[in-house]
Amino acid sequence: MFYSTSTKVQYITKGLELGKSLFVSSLIIGEANIGKKSLVKSIFPEIPWVDGSDIINLKQTLSKHNELIISNFELYGDYNISDFNGKRIIAISDAASFPSHIDSLFAFIYTMPSLKERPEDIKYLSEIFAKEARSIFMAEDILPLDLTQIDLTYNTRSLKKAIFEHQAYNTITPDKIEQILYNYFEKELGGNNDYAKYLPVFENPLIMAGLDKFGSQLKLSSILGINRNTLRKKIYELGIN
Amino acid sequence: MNLESIDFKLFVETDNNPFIIFDSSGHIIYLNNAAEMLLCYVNTKELYDLALTYAPKTFGHKSTIHSLEYESFSFYSLMVGYETDEQIYLRLYNKPLVQTKISISNESLIFTDINTILEANITLFQLESDASISLFVDQELPLFKLDQNYFSIMLRKALSSFINSPSLNVILKLIVGEYILIDDKKHQIIELILKAPKRTIDNDEEINQLANQTHVTLSLKPEMIKFQIPLII
Repeated sequence: MFYSTSTKVQYITKGLELGKSLFVSSLIIGEANIGKKSLVKSIFPEIPWVDGSDIINLKQTLSKHNELIISNFELYGDYNISDFNGKRIIAISDAASFPSHIDSLFAFIYTMPSLKERPEDIKYLSEIFAKEARSIFMAEDILPLDLTQIDLTYNTRSLKKAIFEHQAYNTITPDKIEQILYNYFEKELGGNNDYAKYLPVFENPLIMAGLDKFGSQLKLSSILGINRNTLRKKIYELGIN
Repeated sequence: MNLESIDFKLFVETDNNPFIIFDSSGHIIYLNNAAEMLLCYVNTKELYDLALTYAPKTFGHKSTIHSLEYESFSFYSLMVGYETDEQIYLRLYNKPLVQTKISISNESLIFTDINTILEANITLFQLESDASISLFVDQELPLFKLDQNYFSIMLRKALSSFINSPSLNVILKLIVGEYILIDDKKHQIIELILKAPKRTIDNDEEINQLANQTHVTLSLKPEMIKFQIPLII
């Protein structure tokens, strides 16, 4: 099922829905992982799919069917207007631009906005992903994630990754941390000065979290039970601001 | 040869080029059939002002090459003349029309609800434009045969020429009493008008080509595009 509260995506959905009663071809373009395929699948569940990279299969399917969905359309370089005549082609592509003659193949060309341009969808999808993450990690509710700080370069993929990581970081137990560190050191150790090299792996998060939590070096040195000068020296060595 | 026996008025009357004689107040004294048709689309005063603007400086006749467009009428030249202070005549010369003889191919024509195709295109337009849209459409128009793909591409390109306009008026109606002749067969006309304060003309050539392919009579103006679509059943 596809769902979006973005006005632009709702316009695209409406356009495709109206197109169901017309025998016309449409092209949907936009970045990867923004829901293009889910949207098309939800509106045209019966129409066969072909990948644009599979040219032989694509040509054969085009000759057999009057309706066809072509994913990765940008990989299908052998455009021919006669292939599209009298057919309903729904093409999906991650490419931002096409040669100008492509314009004459399609009655409708929709540009789907990226996830960054759909803040209402970020909130909705983050709730779905968080629910899924809680189920997988068998966890209770955790502190909400600051959605504005998430790097959405890969759209829903980036969002899902960020939410799962956030869920993992906030539900992890000391024995799991030890296991993670064990796996890491088991893989990395092998130099001649590794104690000094890998000590910051412990000290960095310890001091940074302490400074964030308690605000001053004086308070933190007392909490950690170390001398104030020792703490200041560590902060300097670790390059912590 | 006795020229007095020739009825010159008959030739003027049936000439395809509009011919009008005005009196000194701008009232029409005489007009031929073509001028009568033209006056359905342009008012008398506009034509009288045109005659005064291009009149010769003194008694006589003057031809001027000047492009004029009134709805579907296109003229390339005009002639103005007067022999007395009481009468002035205006004659407009039709631009030669390139007639395309594209027959209707039934294979590509599908019974279509034009309101659906229009709504789908307006939806696409709204993705790119913030224009406020006023719709005056006849929802009761019958289904008729259309090349949906070509017609929709043409409509998309036409609408995209209004993308930067703050508003857009869309009028869709059936024209009564006029017909389009295709393959010697008369078809009623559905008229679609897109009107806005401004538009770009970059797509005009392509819109024109698509109109020819779909048997649509097109009128392109700086602030308006009008399609006359044959109602093929």
